[in-house]
Amino acid sequence: MSQPSRPKSPDDQTVMYIRVKRNKTTYFLQCVPSESILQVKEKLEELIDQPVNDQRLILMPNREVLDDSKSLADQKVENDAIIALTLRKDDNEFEEVNIIRPNDFYQSRETDGGSNW
Amino acid sequence: MKKEDTVKLISAEGFEFVIDKKAAMVSQTIRNMLTSPVSFAETEHGEVTFPEISTTILEKICQYFYWSLQYASGKETEFHIEPELTLELIMAADYLHT
Repeated sequence: MSQPSRPKSPDDQTVMYIRVKRNKTTYFLQCVPSESILQVKEKLEELIDQPVNDQRLILMPNREVLDDSKSLADQKVENDAIIALTLRKDDNEFEEVNIIRPNDFYQSRETDGGSNW
Repeated sequence: MKKEDTVKLISAEGFEFVIDKKAAMVSQTIRNMLTSPVSFAETEHGEVTFPEISTTILEKICQYFYWSLQYASGKETEFHIEPELTLELIMAADYLHT
């Protein structure tokens, strides 16, 4: 009794997600470790209307540019990883990584000594 | 992944989170907003704005949705929550019926 072979569906045990960030937007994308970077870019293409050639994905925080032909597992992209998205500009160069972080988390945390409850 | 299968959640600071509708429906509140025949003030063009939920909390909630889907399909892992977030997270979770 062997498993019927079928194309990988999101119901596989190894389903994971990644967070693709650019400026103020984060895209949560479901994927599997064996998926290639190109396939991830194709998913993004549907969401952001940018062709795969104009996309560059960069694994954070080490800033490693991800290779289209390799898989997520090959490049050690783990569940919940943050990946920066940069797009090709009009002068044919790619833009700089720009992820805006909210600073709300750190402000007004100074309650009057109320953290020992 | 089609655009129609996703929904955009917007935080108080205007940060956007694009997630699968399936993940968003983990929240009963969002599920009602998206499936109701009446249109809500908060939802337009598949976008839901939460003026009361901060970005950090909203991101944590999105992570929770996906964790919840993974847990339901058998992958039992821990969902880590930084202590500083718990109060706001509880309030947001209550509002979102999650």
